[in-house]
Amino acid sequence: MAEPQENKTRRKEKAVKKNRLVQAFKQAPWRGRVQMAGGFLVGLVIIILIASVYLSISGQAASAGLEAYRLDLKRLDLERQIANTNARIAIVSSAANMEARALELGFQRINPDEALYLTIPGYPGKQSMTIASAPASAKNEPYLVKSVYRESLWDWLFTGINSLSDSVIGSGE
Amino acid sequence: MKKTNFTRFKFLAVLLTLFALVIFVQMVRIQNSTDAEYLDKWAANYGYEIRTIQSERGYIYDRWGNLLAGNKEVYEIGIELQFVKNPAAIASTMSNLLDMDYGFVFKAANTPYVPGQTVYITLADYILYSQIEELSALKTKYENNNPYGEDPNKPSLRGLVWTPHLQRTYPEHTLASNVLGFYTFYDREGGAGYYGVEEKYDALLAGTKKNIMISLDPYEMQEIPTAPPGASLVLTIDREMQRSVEKILDQAVAANKANSGSIIVMNPENGEILAMANTPRIDPNAYWEYENIFPAGSSYNKSVNQVYEPGSIFKVLTMAAALDAGVVTPLTPFTDLGVINVGGWDIYNWDRGAWGEQNMIGCMQHSLNVCLSWIATQLGPDRFYDYLERFGIGHRTNIDLAGEEVYPLSVPGDPTWYTVNLATNSFGQGVAVTPIQFLMAASSIANDGMMMAPHVLKSYIQDGKQYDTTPQVVGKPISAETARTLTDMLAISLEQEASDALVEGYRVAGKTGTAEIAVNGQYSSNQTNASFIGWGPVDDPKFIVFVWLEKPRSSIWGSIVAAPVFRDVVNEIVVLMDIPPDDVRLSMTSE
Repeated sequence: MAEPQENKTRRKEKAVKKNRLVQAFKQAPWRGRVQMAGGFLVGLVIIILIASVYLSISGQAASAGLEAYRLDLKRLDLERQIANTNARIAIVSSAANMEARALELGFQRINPDEALYLTIPGYPGKQSMTIASAPASAKNEPYLVKSVYRESLWDWLFTGINSLSDSVIGSGE
Repeated sequence: MKKTNFTRFKFLAVLLTLFALVIFVQMVRIQNSTDAEYLDKWAANYGYEIRTIQSERGYIYDRWGNLLAGNKEVYEIGIELQFVKNPAAIASTMSNLLDMDYGFVFKAANTPYVPGQTVYITLADYILYSQIEELSALKTKYENNNPYGEDPNKPSLRGLVWTPHLQRTYPEHTLASNVLGFYTFYDREGGAGYYGVEEKYDALLAGTKKNIMISLDPYEMQEIPTAPPGASLVLTIDREMQRSVEKILDQAVAANKANSGSIIVMNPENGEILAMANTPRIDPNAYWEYENIFPAGSSYNKSVNQVYEPGSIFKVLTMAAALDAGVVTPLTPFTDLGVINVGGWDIYNWDRGAWGEQNMIGCMQHSLNVCLSWIATQLGPDRFYDYLERFGIGHRTNIDLAGEEVYPLSVPGDPTWYTVNLATNSFGQGVAVTPIQFLMAASSIANDGMMMAPHVLKSYIQDGKQYDTTPQVVGKPISAETARTLTDMLAISLEQEASDALVEGYRVAGKTGTAEIAVNGQYSSNQTNASFIGWGPVDDPKFIVFVWLEKPRSSIWGSIVAAPVFRDVVNEIVVLMDIPPDDVRLSMTSE
């Protein structure tokens, strides 16, 4: 019989506490409003936090986009500069200019009978030029922009889930 | 809580709610305002950029990597009407710096700005960077003195803009222009390569061109496509050799008062064209002069685009055929009576003389038409024309230069063929070839009977990789033994003749040619094509040289005007090709 008595006492204490709380709120109704305002503010803070994150990410994305655009213009500019520099070098070192400079420096055209020929073991003679690269960048990768900048949150989520399930279950192949 | 506090809370809540409502109302109002449509259109106009992605046209190099054709940066100058503040200042500046018409620029700068329609006017194009530098400095100076161009009484170049682009350029100017061709760079939309490798490899050099839309909204980030550059070409041409040969040709044409000339230097072992000089030549940087330099009917590259009757140099092919067929040997005797009748027609020697007892070396040395006609009759038409076919006469060589010409070879059975053709063809009359065609045929004699396809492309560079071309064997018209025998015969004939073609220290083989030009159906005795074909060193030929002077006036004879040109060319190229004199070379080999 001792146990039911204890339960009864506990229930009574609970009821008393509840009554006190109800009484307190009745005596000071602003408490309930403060609670509502607090809840509203918590919600607002969460929204502000989400908005901040969104704005931050958007800002970074916009900044990256502008940077990519700027770099692309810079790349085009550099390609033109390289082409222009190549052309200027070619003009400076053109056959006519080189001959004129050689003559200025006191060189003379050689006659065949003036030439001295030497055998140099292992020397293959003058070789044709091997030009390693094309005029502009020949790198042609399928994607230059990192995937993190290309995929949406859902893409990222599904890709993650797929890769996780593949690693757990196996790809089935 | 006190009542006053609660009232404050209420007041604040109402205030904030009202503020939020005002923002919301304003948002709705903006979205539905009369300006919204205009703003949408404006955003649509400026939200995307239509960009033409065009490959940089590929470069053209000589065999040593010297740039023969490249691209340089030039600028287009225009007016963005929306930003113009002082049209008079723009007109005055353009007039002073670029010598443009003041009235034209002023009118352009005063054009009303109509969004979506009249926003930009091009003033000038292909302006060099040095001029843009001046313009830029002036624009900055004006801007500093008159920020934003707000003071209408002070000059401002606001609205004047310049955008860079590339222009084809040829740093060597006229050098090898007949081989290179030209690119019509002034036509920015429809520019194309004409003649030479610029036309032949136009598609390869040009790469790709496409218009794309790029979003200017940074949130809509996307990859901006790039166009890989057009392929670059490495030619077999040796710039230094080309320059030397062109100099020699120009001097020869001037000294002999010839109409024009052509010299080709080729490596007979692989068909690589080392130099191909022609007159006249154009500076491809000023390609619009084409019609002045090449009047109607003239050829851009005579080595490839023009056929002519070769005359006596053709005798090397006849003799090669006869030796290879076993009809004659170098010492086969022939009594030259000065005339031979073939098909009812009398054939005479070039001097109308009778040269008496000769052998085949003598026939070549004295270039006897009668002897060669007799040889052709001994061969018979079937074998003779079979050999000419094998030498590629009447067919294109398919050299990789645009516009190769060919003249069909009349053979027995054709309505244009008569029995006398057998005789006349044997010494190069009644048959027409391009210089490159004849050079290819003769190169087989210099290369142990093996005939290589002539070509100017050594390798090409695409996607960052260099691909070498493989020399192609066209055929083997004669045996190696015949080739060596004939080479030796021709060397002896030059030596016995004490020809002007002989080169000190180097044994060379060759043959002169003097072909009368048909004028109004009759061969003219004072208008000729003077030619020379020669190669060396005889024991291991590394070069074959073809010389042609059209209508020389100092002398009509190939032996007088063309043979010395061959010697001069060889004197230059042996140095450039590092070929020691024969005695030095042989002693070095034996060491």
